[in-house]
Amino acid sequence: MSALLSAELLKLRTTRTFAALAGVAVGISLLITVLVGILTEPTQDEVLRDVFANDVSFLFILILAIVGITGEWRHRTITSSLLAAPDRVRFLAAKTLAFAAAGVFLSLLISLSVGAIGLAIMTIRDLPTPELSEWLALVGRSAAVATLLGAFGVCVGALVRNQVVAVVGVLASGFVVEVTLLGLVPDVGRFGPVLALPGGINNIDDDPELLAPGVAALAMLGWITVTYVAGALLLRRRDLD
Amino acid sequence: MTTAIEIHGVSKRFGKVQAVDDLSFEVGAGRVTGFLGPNGAGKSTTLRMLLGLVGPDAGGGTFEGKRYEELPHPSAHVGAVLEDASFHPGRSGRNHLRVLAALGRHPAGRVDEVLAEVGLTDAAGRRVKGYSMGMRQRLAIAAALLGDPDVLILDEPTNGLDPPGIRWVRDLLRSQAARGRAVLVSSHLLSEVAQSVDDVVVIAHGKLRGSGPLEQVLGGSDGPVTQVRSAEDERLAGLLRDRGLTVDAAGSGALLVRGAPPELVGSVAAEHSVALVELVAAARSLEEAFFELTEVPA
Repeated sequence: MSALLSAELLKLRTTRTFAALAGVAVGISLLITVLVGILTEPTQDEVLRDVFANDVSFLFILILAIVGITGEWRHRTITSSLLAAPDRVRFLAAKTLAFAAAGVFLSLLISLSVGAIGLAIMTIRDLPTPELSEWLALVGRSAAVATLLGAFGVCVGALVRNQVVAVVGVLASGFVVEVTLLGLVPDVGRFGPVLALPGGINNIDDDPELLAPGVAALAMLGWITVTYVAGALLLRRRDLD
Repeated sequence: MTTAIEIHGVSKRFGKVQAVDDLSFEVGAGRVTGFLGPNGAGKSTTLRMLLGLVGPDAGGGTFEGKRYEELPHPSAHVGAVLEDASFHPGRSGRNHLRVLAALGRHPAGRVDEVLAEVGLTDAAGRRVKGYSMGMRQRLAIAAALLGDPDVLILDEPTNGLDPPGIRWVRDLLRSQAARGRAVLVSSHLLSEVAQSVDDVVVIAHGKLRGSGPLEQVLGGSDGPVTQVRSAEDERLAGLLRDRGLTVDAAGSGALLVRGAPPELVGSVAAEHSVALVELVAAARSLEEAFFELTEVPA
């Protein structure tokens, strides 16, 4: 398994897609932090949420993971991958773990960048900074969200192998379907895997519409398990012709 | 002869199309076996079933008794180049091989060795999207050689190659077989592999049409062939058919008489006072025999 995982991580490192999207994610997070840090004057209660909670890694790792696995179909590299390692379930597991790991990396990179810049701006402007324990908890939760969404994205891509359909479908289900359900049927909407559950895991404001972090994480694991099993079954049955 | 690959009763249907129909054959170690048939004959599907990429409806293929997926270290035992060998366009040739080496648990040092073997060392750092068709084919062959395998399977390996590239592939096939490896190479063009194969397996419409040594399969089993021309060709054809001979039109009014030397055809014509314009022994080419076997008009 470690050989497969190493190979999947090598795939990530040897194209420009990951570096480019990660760069954009870091850039957007830093831009928001700088703008909010300069243009607002947050109180002690607001500073963690407003200035330091700008990690957009969850969205980017989700897209990267979908692109990563659907790209195997698009470029037909899945054939050479499965010739080298024919166990399709293990192949999918390795890819899932690789993008979970990539999610942790990207989230920590953004959290540390945002933390450093946010702290510098707040200190220079003589404004309050968050407690270290609060910030560390935020970093941990953001990393957990990115990890879970990285894994979820791979599983989605295993089910829907058309890259455009998979990416657009996931974004639409998150930003249209989940948002609508949260408004109309919150008891259902709060179980949405793209926005609602990640929001629950990272629930800084204790929003009552969202699930508690632990429950949300468990529900997210449920989504991953179901989509992984379905994706693995589909992958095993598919002919690579 | 040690059997390296065994295909037994394999069948596959895609919708209404029976792509492969109860196909069985064997490939020996230390030999180059040409897997021949026209486009759409079922060659690629057969190879993909052998490699576990396509699930057969019946039968299957094995390497020394084991299915591809059951081999403990598949890419170290079997190297394959498939017709549509594809690469991530943004990855360099070397990185493509590094990924496959990691997946197949091959030493990283093999990457530069196989790059040198296929003559791609200088281009190894370039992204694959800048490669020519021939360079991509060489990269695919390098990937197949990564595990130093006992069996090589190549699906239309000369597609897109220039004449020097085709010669290089031929030499590669022979050198691999000389090292005791089993080489199975598919092609829809007999002329491209005839010079380098020991055995052939001919299929058409998914069915086996012949297998064995090249000359035995394609050398013709219907004996001598005579080309004859006469002003009374229809009468002559009838007389020859009455003798149990097979007579076909050869174009330009000539007849092709199978299973009979010119002496026999001439004596039948003389016996019935049929004047002949031409009477020659016709050499049937490998290509003609191949077309006959696969039912493709020459």
